[in-house]
Amino acid sequence: MAEPFWLSLRKQFTPIHLLGHAVLFGVGLVLLYPLIFMILAGFYDKNEFMTTVLRVIPIPEEPTLANYRALILGSKDAAVSTYMTNSLIRTAYNTFWALLTSFLAGYVFARLKFKGREQLFLIMLATQMIPGTLAIIPTYLEFARFPFAGGNYIFTGGTGILNTWWVYLIGGPAINIMGTFLVKQSLEKVPIELDEAAIVDGAGTLRIIFQILLPLQLPIMAFIAITTALGTWNDFITPFFYTNSDKLQTLPSAITRISSVGASPGAVINYPLIITLSLGITVPAMLIFFFFQKYIVQGLANTGIKG
Amino acid sequence: MGHADPPAATAAKRRTKRNRDGLIAFVILAPMFLFWLIVSGFPTLFGFFLGFFDWVGLNDTPNFIGFGNFVHFFQNKVYTDALWRSIWLGGLVTALTLLAGFGAALLMNLPLFGKGFYRSIWYIPAITSTVATTQVFNIFLDTNNGVINNVLKSFGKEPIVWQYSAAWGIFWIVVYSVWKGVGGAALIWLAGLQSVDPVLYEAAAIDGAGRWGKLRYVTLPGLKPIATYIMITSLIGAIQIYEQVLFITNGGPYGQTEVLVFRIYRDGFWDFNLGMAGASSLIMAVIVIVIAVLYYNWSTKSDRRTTIPVKPVKGGR
Repeated sequence: MAEPFWLSLRKQFTPIHLLGHAVLFGVGLVLLYPLIFMILAGFYDKNEFMTTVLRVIPIPEEPTLANYRALILGSKDAAVSTYMTNSLIRTAYNTFWALLTSFLAGYVFARLKFKGREQLFLIMLATQMIPGTLAIIPTYLEFARFPFAGGNYIFTGGTGILNTWWVYLIGGPAINIMGTFLVKQSLEKVPIELDEAAIVDGAGTLRIIFQILLPLQLPIMAFIAITTALGTWNDFITPFFYTNSDKLQTLPSAITRISSVGASPGAVINYPLIITLSLGITVPAMLIFFFFQKYIVQGLANTGIKG
Repeated sequence: MGHADPPAATAAKRRTKRNRDGLIAFVILAPMFLFWLIVSGFPTLFGFFLGFFDWVGLNDTPNFIGFGNFVHFFQNKVYTDALWRSIWLGGLVTALTLLAGFGAALLMNLPLFGKGFYRSIWYIPAITSTVATTQVFNIFLDTNNGVINNVLKSFGKEPIVWQYSAAWGIFWIVVYSVWKGVGGAALIWLAGLQSVDPVLYEAAAIDGAGRWGKLRYVTLPGLKPIATYIMITSLIGAIQIYEQVLFITNGGPYGQTEVLVFRIYRDGFWDFNLGMAGASSLIMAVIVIVIAVLYYNWSTKSDRRTTIPVKPVKGGR
């Protein structure tokens, strides 16, 4: 820190540093390439994209903002604005609940004393080892047989909550185990004397939770918010497996339906529309990442190693 | 502590505090666990039993057949091939991702200008949507107007129909997976590198160790816990890869790029063979749980610095 700027600048030119710059920048550019391609391809007109020979750097002869405009104002081809709205609502909803459940449950496990606390927490963590794959088909069956919903006479007869907004909403208030784990870990580093001092000053439980402890947990809360938001934003599994109607699709699941997976066999794949939707997913995610990357880097280190 | 309260009164106070804590804990946790049971607990438990039933088609009545599905699984080449492919593909992706990530982390640990920028651009693929970015790969791999084939043509080479070749399909699945995973691996390695006590490096320097000596005798031993952690979590993730298979090759040609989790999806949602999908899921779950438990035992015995292998916070349900 104390050394002069020119000295530290000169250090950048040892062979190992130059190698570092070259590799990190060069390979980094290769890693970014698919995204650069996507952003550039977004300027193509639909017809030009179909007829032109795609180059490594795709630069259209007649650039158009139509694809980008379609993301905000909607498009004739597809209900882009519906997908966008659904994605946004789901993301906001899941993020809100992830924050609330992780913080409250983290508080409970870090601060309250009750019988079986440690055992309960261990069981919770242990369930995280069970791969989510195991639950995909059973969840489908459960949603289809959901009691008294969607025309079900108790369990059968209708389609349950499949293909309804409940598919997205029902998981919200469920405990976010990873978030709880992170908040608990982080709260345990806050001295209990802080709570005790607040009690002496006459603060109630709610006040301790929200006015004293919460402000200290903002970095970890930011990490939970960002990862949940990105996870939900990019999630295609829930809509893809458990919904059907076009009104319920989100940006990622809308792509699956027009890509080679969902389109009818032999159909021409509408790549310009796919690119539009892809941009709609990727650009906001990248923006979120750039604004909050500090928290992501910190949080990743927290999930990896604990002191 | 240390107050003048008589011991009986303190004990009573502690008991009421404990009761009050228990009540608050119950009020907060009960609803959360109820919803967790609906969307996670019950389906998972259900998943453990599904494989023991013969159940084809949603409206079929499930029929208990014991281990029938599992016998079928191990006698049928389609399933054993998919399982085997999941394992070696997962191993390959893990090895490549971690090696490349480690190299990058060593470089990122140098005092370079703009290292924050490098960290960001390396990590960006991890935050993108699999659905969106696999579509870009598909544009690269298109037979007629794909970017790669256009480049080949401009060099006067024959275009390649990637979709006809299982080897190329696997190759691109691996490329995609490494592309997406390398930045995250680099960041975790980097956190590990930075957690090594700097005093040890000074001591090694006094003992005459150079750059490689320090790497060999200080860095690598210091990284052992995090190395095991990242290997296990990456492996658990990589043997369950299927989204890129679904969107890049869709299992083709002729099912030669099918991995086990893709097979589960196919059984469940194309053929509605719910029993077989359940049996395959259970086999995958057992493999993952065995790896996780072995690791947990090892890590609690040898070092307390590592956590149990929890998966990253996932959105969705």
